[in-house]
Amino acid sequence: MTSTEPILRAEGVEKGFHRGVPPRRRRVEVLKGANLEVRRGELVGLVGENGSGKSTLMKIVVGLLERDGGAVERSGKLGYCPQIPLLWEKLTVDEHFELFARAYELEAEAAAAQSLLDELQFERYRGYRIEELSGGTRQKLNLALALMHSPDLLLLDEPYSGFDWETYLRFWEMSERRRDEGMGILIVSHFLSERERLDRIYELREGRCVET
Amino acid sequence: MNAIAISGADFLREHLRARLTLVLLVAIPALFVLASASVLGEFAAALGGSVAGDSASALGAGWAAAFLAGALGFFQVSSSREADRRLALAGMGAARVAVARISASLVLGALISAVAFLTLLLSAGVAHPAHTFVAILIFALIYIGIGTLVGSFVSGALEGSLTVAFIFLIDAFSGPGMSDSGGIAQAMPTRKAADVLIDAGAGQGSPAGDWIAVGLVTLGALLLAAAAFWLSARPRST
Repeated sequence: MTSTEPILRAEGVEKGFHRGVPPRRRRVEVLKGANLEVRRGELVGLVGENGSGKSTLMKIVVGLLERDGGAVERSGKLGYCPQIPLLWEKLTVDEHFELFARAYELEAEAAAAQSLLDELQFERYRGYRIEELSGGTRQKLNLALALMHSPDLLLLDEPYSGFDWETYLRFWEMSERRRDEGMGILIVSHFLSERERLDRIYELREGRCVET
Repeated sequence: MNAIAISGADFLREHLRARLTLVLLVAIPALFVLASASVLGEFAAALGGSVAGDSASALGAGWAAAFLAGALGFFQVSSSREADRRLALAGMGAARVAVARISASLVLGALISAVAFLTLLLSAGVAHPAHTFVAILIFALIYIGIGTLVGSFVSGALEGSLTVAFIFLIDAFSGPGMSDSGGIAQAMPTRKAADVLIDAGAGQGSPAGDWIAVGLVTLGALLLAAAAFWLSARPRST
């Protein structure tokens, strides 16, 4: 199912941040020309130490952060699951599905939501507000919102933090099934134990992506 | 349009489901209006101003609406910035998120103004109801603009709410009736709205020039708010 045409291509991405206050203000270069590609039907990992710039690169690729240099090209529908669930505390699970269905212009909203509620097993929380949910259930919703429109490219930033072991295993089954159906998936991870589940791995070292 | 209406309703619901917001919605107008009636005249005299009586109570209602609207405007941006950006990125677009947010803000502003007006009506009476309500609403709308603008530049809840409170205090205590109205008072955003509210509190109308000035300031504040919401929700280029 893997195609040769990349659905995501990042070339020479550069990003730096200013840290501290004058006179101790300094600039930290996080990304120094990072390159990566993801094709349809591929499950690609982006690994690296804490602070290596994985989430920064992911945010640039998604469009949440401005880059200082380089180029990013994407095609197809995008699904994005941020590391920290970006949700509205006072709204319910169902209201989140409704909001995102409007954003994705989904007609079969109810079916898409129900399928993910079943798959991730949190149907009973659909009337709960986010502030009433555990971290793991918030993360399930966070992931479900990224998946509900069946994107062509799925970008996941450590999407399983807070998952119990069973949900963690189910997450990988879901990802592998979608990969087999042709979805291109890029997943940020720092667990070496997940390497055998991934088709290709990029490691961020000193601001650059090295394919390992 | 449907997506904007649903999002706007959700954004409004998000605020009205916070119990503290509801408590403050009632408590702040009550506090400002009642305090204004009893001590504002003495306070204004100490600062070089002349506001007193029903005009002071009416001004208190305007301040209550401004304070609440500024705080809610700030938190509308600061507490949901990342989630709004995610929604915009998902296909809603920054412009539609901004329109939904501004719609929710307008309803919140009207609600806040209605509560402040009702408090004034019940506690002190209102000699010129239509002018009084519109002037209170204008206070709220101007401060929605200020709150959202602060929210788009200041991300911390403490720093942002202190900034809104600081602007509010300077504005309130340098306004007409509260000081000699020289210097900085001329440039404060609610100056003309305060003139209109003081006149309405005393049972008088205001000159057309004041209404035009107030309308222009309000329009500017709402445009600033829309720009602030758009800036916050805007995905970065890929």
